[in-house]
Amino acid sequence: MKFSYNWIREFVPGLDVDPQSLERLITMKTAECDGIEVAGELLNGAVLANVLEVEKIEGQKNVVAKVDAGPYGMKTVVCGASNCRAGIITAYVPLGKKVVSGIESDGMLAAADELGINNDHGGILELTADTVLPPVDHAIEIDNKSITHRPDLWGHHGMAREVAAITGHPLRDPADLSLLPPAGAPVQIEIEDLHLCPRYSALVFDNVTVQPSPLWLQARLTAAGLNTKNNIVDLSNYLMAELAQPTHAFDRAKLAGDTIWARPAREGESIVALNDETYSLSPANLVIADASGPIAIAGVIGGKDSAISAGTTSIVFESANFNAGSVRRTSSSLKLRTDASMRFEKAQDPVNTLRALARALELLPILSPGIRLVGGLADNCAELKTPPTISLDLDWLARKLGRVLDPAEVRRILEALQFKVSDNFEVSVPTWRATKDIAMAEDLVEEVGRMIGYSSIEPQPPMVPCAPSFDPPEREFLRGIRRHYAAQGFTEVSNYSFISEEEAKRFGFAPEDHVRVLNPIAEGQELMRTSLLPGIHRNLVENAKHFEDFRLFEVGREIHLNNGEKPIERPHVVAAIYSRHDDGRAALMELKRVSALHSGDAEIRPATAMPWEHPSRAAEVILQGQVAGRLFELHPNLIDTGRAALLYLDLAKIPTQLAVKYQPVRRFPTSSFDLSVICPAREYAATVDAAIRNFAGELAEAIEFVTDYQMPDSRKSLSFRIVLGAADRTLAGPEVTAVRERIIEGLRGLHYELTV
Amino acid sequence: MQDLVDSALERINSSATAADLEALRVDVLGRKGVLAQLSKDMGKLTPDERVARGKFINAAKATLESAYEALKNRFESEALATRLNSEWLDLTVPAPGVKPGALHPITQIQWEIEDLFRSLGFSVLDGPEVETEHHNFDALNIPQDHPARDMQDTFWLDAGGPLGRFLLRTHTSPVQVRGMETLQLPLRMIAPGRVFRNESVDASHEHTFYQLEGMMIDKDVSVGNLIYFMKTLLGAIFKRDVTVRLRPGYFPFVEPGFELDIRCLICGGPGCPVCKQSGWVELLPCGLVNPHVLKMSGIDPTKWNGFAFGLGLTRLVMMRYAIDDIRWLQSGDLRFLGQFA
Repeated sequence: MKFSYNWIREFVPGLDVDPQSLERLITMKTAECDGIEVAGELLNGAVLANVLEVEKIEGQKNVVAKVDAGPYGMKTVVCGASNCRAGIITAYVPLGKKVVSGIESDGMLAAADELGINNDHGGILELTADTVLPPVDHAIEIDNKSITHRPDLWGHHGMAREVAAITGHPLRDPADLSLLPPAGAPVQIEIEDLHLCPRYSALVFDNVTVQPSPLWLQARLTAAGLNTKNNIVDLSNYLMAELAQPTHAFDRAKLAGDTIWARPAREGESIVALNDETYSLSPANLVIADASGPIAIAGVIGGKDSAISAGTTSIVFESANFNAGSVRRTSSSLKLRTDASMRFEKAQDPVNTLRALARALELLPILSPGIRLVGGLADNCAELKTPPTISLDLDWLARKLGRVLDPAEVRRILEALQFKVSDNFEVSVPTWRATKDIAMAEDLVEEVGRMIGYSSIEPQPPMVPCAPSFDPPEREFLRGIRRHYAAQGFTEVSNYSFISEEEAKRFGFAPEDHVRVLNPIAEGQELMRTSLLPGIHRNLVENAKHFEDFRLFEVGREIHLNNGEKPIERPHVVAAIYSRHDDGRAALMELKRVSALHSGDAEIRPATAMPWEHPSRAAEVILQGQVAGRLFELHPNLIDTGRAALLYLDLAKIPTQLAVKYQPVRRFPTSSFDLSVICPAREYAATVDAAIRNFAGELAEAIEFVTDYQMPDSRKSLSFRIVLGAADRTLAGPEVTAVRERIIEGLRGLHYELTV
Repeated sequence: MQDLVDSALERINSSATAADLEALRVDVLGRKGVLAQLSKDMGKLTPDERVARGKFINAAKATLESAYEALKNRFESEALATRLNSEWLDLTVPAPGVKPGALHPITQIQWEIEDLFRSLGFSVLDGPEVETEHHNFDALNIPQDHPARDMQDTFWLDAGGPLGRFLLRTHTSPVQVRGMETLQLPLRMIAPGRVFRNESVDASHEHTFYQLEGMMIDKDVSVGNLIYFMKTLLGAIFKRDVTVRLRPGYFPFVEPGFELDIRCLICGGPGCPVCKQSGWVELLPCGLVNPHVLKMSGIDPTKWNGFAFGLGLTRLVMMRYAIDDIRWLQSGDLRFLGQFA
């Protein structure tokens, strides 16, 4: 929200700091400022000027005007506005001389937008001799997020209260409740649910003239970032920007009957709003209605049919209070955020409705001379809650802040913010802080703390118990995994937790098996990943454009549906080796080696390939008897050039610590012999290894793979070294020979050939 | 006889190669060599002659052997020198094999800060990326229909079953709640991790980024303690003395709540483009834990209180390396990531 410096100063007349200093004070004590800008900079030095004569410039849109610029004397100005003509009074800005259209132009004649009065750039201002040009202003922009909890700061008077408290100057109240008439309005108010609409107040006027607002009011609204329209609509905005109280004016002639209801919308009702959109309403939406149906969406926007127009002569001017949650729900379900709804959802003070009407009573005769109040006040109201009283223990307050406090200063601060403070520090909260903002003593810590300034608090080391921290062991394990892969040449990537339906389908995952994002930010991010592979696949394809060989890995979570319960997150690691030229074998072997370093000897069990895997190069990784992941080459369909070997492991299935079991060092020597087994080209070494192990019996100390050799006849020869030993003796020759023969005989029984 | 010896010596000294010398060794010093010849007729000599001959032979032997040894040593050292010279190696050739990979810069800074907190007795906790509405909002004093929910644009999930229950955590603060529910009091904990906000991605905005949440619950924790702690922490992170200031900030889970600024590390205060000429850089939100939050996690706020803060890890990485575009971090692009090895 933008705050006009001049407007604030109207309520804090003693304000003696410049806008920049004020911005800093507000930032340090109240709310974050996003910036400051000059509003109507050209008003500086601008004066009224009579256009005396106007001459066309041949072949140009511009004209040459001779003007009487008052204190600046007679000036010749080149002007491009089509309404620049002799006899009008406009605004002259002394900008200095420059040549325009080949003619020396001294200063400029200004349009309303150039002076920051409104957004009109249709032509230069046309003024009357008694017009007073508004002064230059500064707009201080406050971050809306930082006043989410402060309904009162959504108007200039609320901010002025802060400024008064910060600077120690007195605060002026623009609302004079004594102006309000007694009850007796010519309209009836009917509130169906006082919880949703705690208060609805209104005044009726006739003899209304709809016309532009005075320049000063337009300039204020423009500085505050609001549009100008006509005097009645502008007044409504002015009250909102001043008192944080949204109001609305209905054209009384367009209302059906003299009763106004605040009620939930009926099923099937709709409304054409001021923004020309049609909204279908439901009973969840509170509306303001006349006898014919909704005339406004309560707290959000008015209806078009009853809007103020040039011909309006009689108005119902309402000022109401609505339930914050209800307005917010309606506003978000209709996707319609307005200046009014933004204020109501912060929980406005019901006391404020009458303050806005009192202020309207003061301003309307100025904005619409001759306007007449018809009858008295309409004011339907729920029983107002008594604002809370909070006992403030000053010792406790000092302990919370960590600073000694002077009771007199605490009192001064709270009273400057218009809290009532009793002798023993029972603190009454003002109504405008009591709706949602302040309810407990901790809230007062903030009030006092920010006003004394947090910089006045000395840093103090906390006294804490000396105790070891709780560290889940899996965290250290995960660090180890990351460190391991990085040390082995893999670079860590981080992919989004989202994948697209298309990516899911490319890998053969059914989209309906995924947790779905209901409101994805971009196309292609509608599913939660059930696998890290689509992300890594993208990385492989992209990086292959820049590198011939690379390694990368990611540690991340798969997210899975869980029968409607909270989705399950499974941490995984995926490591990949890409190579543009290799045959792929070395990369797979390297991944096998690297994984063995952190998981001990995993069993790699050939498996049926998944759709994204090379059909002849896919295996399961078995750790401690269970499938922990897969080792495979990416299917060539998924990568244009080169090959990628991948290892994909479920981190929950990797032992976090490899237990060390000490065995006494062997006292007797072992014996060993080699065997070469000839087998079909596609026989797995693991199959042969298992057979040898089976026949070798309990004397086998180790079966070690030595080498494989491709034979000319397309068979292959696998060599193993068999190490035999016993714990209690050196094996005798015949024992070794017996084992060797048992193995050979056994293998031959399985139709293997042996070269012995 | 002397001629014999002289000629043998001459032959030894004129050997051209180690192989020649070795052949001569047998010829001269061997069992049938020159020296052996000299003692052949010993039996025929008188005792005096024998003594004289013995002396002569010993002297000759010493002469010949030392000549042999000297030459042998020379040949050996020449051979070694030749070999060593021939084994010249260019050690400037880059080592073969894989080069180390890089940890993601977020990982690196996260570990650095985790280690710092662990040294201060904080536990490090992880939490789920998919959260319940309760843990992400309600338990942090952000009820439904509260405008503070606008501060964090949320990704809502359809996880089967009724909608509106599950979401992607918008901050790491829910782990505070989990920490308060599981750890013993007093407690000190941090929770680093990935968080999600439903906003469009550009050079300085990401919908996926990393935060680190910290919390300390004890007795009589004050704003003064918080300031001390933040100063200590940030000094350790930036490895220099840091000037901090607190100003009011609104976060429903703390009361009072603060925005913490640090004195601009680039200009030191006078103002520069990095601090937008203000001399200060907004760094992190913090505050004293709201009693409602304690109560909702089953902690008695009349006995315990504490502070909490949130640190943007992504932001720290961007600051530390002066990274120009936040999108690099989730890009998976090795041209970027490879630089952090």
